[in-house]
Amino acid sequence: MFKEAQITANDILSSAKAARLQIRCNVHESLVEAIYTDAARIADRAVNRPGDEPRFDLDRTIDRLVTSRTWGFPIMLLLFTLVFWITISGANVPSGWLFSLFIDVIYPSLKNAAEALALPWWLSGFLIDGVYLSTAWVISVMLPPMAIFFPLFTLLEDFGYLPRVAFNLDNFFKKSGAHGKQSLSMMMGFGCNAAGVVATRIIDSPRERLIAIITNNFSLCNGRWPTQILIATIFIGALVPAHVAGLISALSVVGVAIFGVLLTFAVSWALSRTWLKGEASTFSLELPPYRPPRILQTIYTSIIDRTIIVLWRAVIFAMPAGAFIWLISNINISGISIAAHMIDFLNPFGLLLGLNGVILLAYVVAIPANEIVIPSILMLTVMVAGLTNISPGAGVIFELDSQADTLAVLNVGGWTLLTAINTMLFSLIHNPCSTTIYTIYKETGSRKWTIISTLLPLGMGIAVTFLVAQVWRLVEAIL
Amino acid sequence: MTTNEIKAAAPACDTCPFHHTANLMKLGVDMEDWDYVIALAGNPNTGKSTVFNALTGLHQHTGNWPGKTVTRAEGGFDYGEKRYKLVDLPGTYSLLSTTLDEEIARDFILFGQPDVTVVVVDATRLERNLNLVLQVLEITDRAVVCLNLMDEAQRHGFKVDDRRLARDLGVPVVPTVARYDKGMDKLLQAICDVATHRTICNPHRIQHLAPDLKQNVSQIAAQIKAVFPDLPNARWVALRLLDGDERIAEAIRQGELGDLTSGAPPDQSNLIHPIRLETV
Amino acid sequence: MPAPLIALLVTALLIILAFLLFRPERGIIPRYRNTRYLSSRVYSEDALKHIYHCQLSGDRPSIESIAGALHITTDEAAGLLSQMENRGLLQLQENAICLTSTGREMALHIIRAHRLWERHLADETGYSELEWHDRAERHEHALSPEEVDALSAHLGHPSYDPHGDPIPTVDGELISLDAAPLTSADLHTPLHIVHIEDEPQSLYAQLVAEGLHPGMQVRLIERSPERILFWANGDEHVLAPIVAANISVSPLPEEYRTKPIYKGRLADLKPGESGEVQSISPACRGLERRRLMDLGVLPGTVIKSEINSPSGDPTAYRIRGAVIALREEQSNHIHITRFNQETA
Ligand SMILES: Nc1nc2c(ncn2[C@@H]2O[C@H](COP(=O)(O)OP(=O)(O)OP(=O)(O)O)[C@@H](O)[C@H]2O)c(=O)[nH]1
Ligand SMILES: [Mg+2]
Repeated sequence: MFKEAQITANDILSSAKAARLQIRCNVHESLVEAIYTDAARIADRAVNRPGDEPRFDLDRTIDRLVTSRTWGFPIMLLLFTLVFWITISGANVPSGWLFSLFIDVIYPSLKNAAEALALPWWLSGFLIDGVYLSTAWVISVMLPPMAIFFPLFTLLEDFGYLPRVAFNLDNFFKKSGAHGKQSLSMMMGFGCNAAGVVATRIIDSPRERLIAIITNNFSLCNGRWPTQILIATIFIGALVPAHVAGLISALSVVGVAIFGVLLTFAVSWALSRTWLKGEASTFSLELPPYRPPRILQTIYTSIIDRTIIVLWRAVIFAMPAGAFIWLISNINISGISIAAHMIDFLNPFGLLLGLNGVILLAYVVAIPANEIVIPSILMLTVMVAGLTNISPGAGVIFELDSQADTLAVLNVGGWTLLTAINTMLFSLIHNPCSTTIYTIYKETGSRKWTIISTLLPLGMGIAVTFLVAQVWRLVEAIL
Repeated sequence: MTTNEIKAAAPACDTCPFHHTANLMKLGVDMEDWDYVIALAGNPNTGKSTVFNALTGLHQHTGNWPGKTVTRAEGGFDYGEKRYKLVDLPGTYSLLSTTLDEEIARDFILFGQPDVTVVVVDATRLERNLNLVLQVLEITDRAVVCLNLMDEAQRHGFKVDDRRLARDLGVPVVPTVARYDKGMDKLLQAICDVATHRTICNPHRIQHLAPDLKQNVSQIAAQIKAVFPDLPNARWVALRLLDGDERIAEAIRQGELGDLTSGAPPDQSNLIHPIRLETV
Repeated sequence: MPAPLIALLVTALLIILAFLLFRPERGIIPRYRNTRYLSSRVYSEDALKHIYHCQLSGDRPSIESIAGALHITTDEAAGLLSQMENRGLLQLQENAICLTSTGREMALHIIRAHRLWERHLADETGYSELEWHDRAERHEHALSPEEVDALSAHLGHPSYDPHGDPIPTVDGELISLDAAPLTSADLHTPLHIVHIEDEPQSLYAQLVAEGLHPGMQVRLIERSPERILFWANGDEHVLAPIVAANISVSPLPEEYRTKPIYKGRLADLKPGESGEVQSISPACRGLERRRLMDLGVLPGTVIKSEINSPSGDPTAYRIRGAVIALREEQSNHIHITRFNQETA
């Protein structure tokens, strides 16, 4: 057909095109069949199988239990509650140690050193009260729970339990028009939403992948666990007798997490009926064999790797945020600090949502990292209330030895049970952190979907807290 | 392993340096000017990342579920006075469909021109894993099969004849247990041998194609050979063209395939795909 | 009235207002957009398509037929045609309407856009078959030639749309189908469906409901003025002749005949039972189909059902050594012959 010398790249393409019209069999199918035929033959020659299938198959026995109609879901709930309960109750004590190390030991000596060096008040305030204290706070609050949570979660992952969760939940995802593997990216999101967004790459269908990306934010990430845990402990744990307080706090945190999962279903459902219309596509998930995890190695790598990396990120963002808060609290415009101006401005809207101006401002400050919501709230509350006996000065993210102190501060700030509940809800449902937003942009390559994934949860958060606040107040007014 | 270490300690062995993990220097992410690039491909959940970690000393996330790795990770090691760059690819069942993870893996094996492609396979599911191995062997003729999870195969009573497999596939086959670092020395040796052309592979090529397909494939492959004489995988490129793979057609149009054989660095910039979707 | 109640009521009102305004498709704003969208360009493109199809099938396009096809009055149609003539898209010669070469090119572009978009909807989205045509009908006007080329490349330059209609190539070539309606086919010869007409929708819906797709192997069993009885991939179907006429078939070459008998679907297996794959239904298309094959679901593969999910739906199957969960829609597409007892 062609003379050797004249063949060019375009000739190849055009003869391929001609051949494509002419070939009657499906190229892909006959190729796959040919490959599998060869593969089966080669495998057959190389492998010597045992004659009989063993009568007892441990994997299937475990599978039958964890995916059973009666026990499947209770086991799931139990395992996750257990993980959170161990995290919450185990993290308290080391958190306390770290607090006293950073605040009782290091902080005064830093202050003394600054005095000895005769640093100007604004410099030592900026560095020590702003940058240092915020960092110390983040480390002592976040390190212990993460050092417990990550290894536990990794153990479950290594054992092979996660694909079974996806298997159990798939029907709900299907009914909400989403992909079954979304439960895997959702679980990655419980660690970090940015990682969860990247993990959606295992979903083939673009429509379902977008749904998974947009709803990933409803998985509580580890930046938000501390907020949930702290508020649940001091407000909800306080409602019940001391000996069950830990369990009830853990349950309420699990409750919020489950609410997040329900929201994931609801939003997926709504999206797949409006903007991202379409039926659920197919799903194929391999259930790998169970493998006994190597406990020591898992603990080692998950601490070295995940915990330190996540903590590092938190610290990087906490330092400038601490500095920023210190600055806006200490720069005055017409006699009042900038922070106070902002809080006054946000307060009416905050109250409408059952929150307050301080909380909203804290969420604005915490856009780079959710980890610093609580420290910002405490600091700003103290500043507004002028609690000079606790705080070493305005704009200082300070030490609170006990939860009782924290409670005292928040009560002065006008907090009620409603404020606490709505803060937990708002922490679950608001815009993703800036890293996640950037990741969404990179993964979708679309400004439109990035904006939607940012504003949709924020709008929903406002709606939910507003509704809860108004209904709560209505019930209060009637009673 | 202990014998290896003893031998490695003996000075005489400096002249025959390639046989021991003791000679392995894990370089982590430090991999300036490497001599060889090694790709790690394989089905999901077969232990690619575990092999990667064992060789580089890094801590790529591993997890017992398919799809743990979704981006490619790179690390380096030093072995027998040569520096190697190791690339961990997402696990795929096949290289024929065009989903994101498969494209990352496929593009790297084809356009990233690794010196050696290590296919990590699950010894307990050989048949399904060979599906991918045979596809890789169509693309490249420098490959090593890492027969991983041998401990599980043993536990289930499977006997896998790795020599027979090596003969049938025409590439080195190394049984390993990556999780407990077993067989890594042999794997390194095989990689090194293929990279330095000490082992010449004669990979198995797919046989049982449908008759009219076979004829068209060989005709187009001949044309491809005429334009790109050094291409090792003309037949596979022809198959992809017949299947309507636009990425490959583009590579032919742009002459990218020609660059591959001339050793020019590949352009990886078009690896990021924005999500496309109809919006109402 | 207490303040919270007022706040709630005000919000409820706002939400209702927003719903009325923005509700997809039926809200006030989407509707307004839709009407603006049906601009004169869309009309002229639809007219081009109509004229082109008429020429292909040997009919003579007329002002009346155009008015009918576009749902406009004959006066409007006449105005549209003279407008199009001015733009050099067609020539009006003594009652005959002819496309100029520009007009022909444009008509082919629209047809190409339409069929490629249907292919995209079929292979890459979850829209139901009944929605493909209408969506493509709207979207074809929004795609530029460059976008259409990109779409074609993205889809791997498919030759046919999901109904079996050939897709014009970039150079404007359109292969013609060599097919006859099922109603006039020979009895008892092996045939395969090459095309299914998607208009009118009421008839198409019946074909979709029967689960018929291009690529299926059929065999005509009985033909009478009341009904057409035929086998398709092992199932018996009965259709009214007017419906069956919308199916086009052609003889099936010897080498592609497979035994069309299967005894069930993978979805029918209970945990513990196994079977051998016969075929994957043609209704399973695109990436979905490729995925299944990549996983090793091929004719001859032995599959064993292992466990059910607690909520009933995905079921895990042992396929070539691995345990893989599939949803019911997928396992329904896999035809198998069941093994009598559990295999050892
Ligand atoms: N028993 C045993 N387990 C292994 C071996 N190699 C890896 N594993 C385990 O297999 C699981 C999967 O390992 P990974 O390295 O994450 O697999 P991968 O191939 O990178 O998987 P993807 O990134 O999802 O494609 C982990 O739980 C490993 O601990 C082995 O040789 N023996
Ligand atoms: Mg991996």
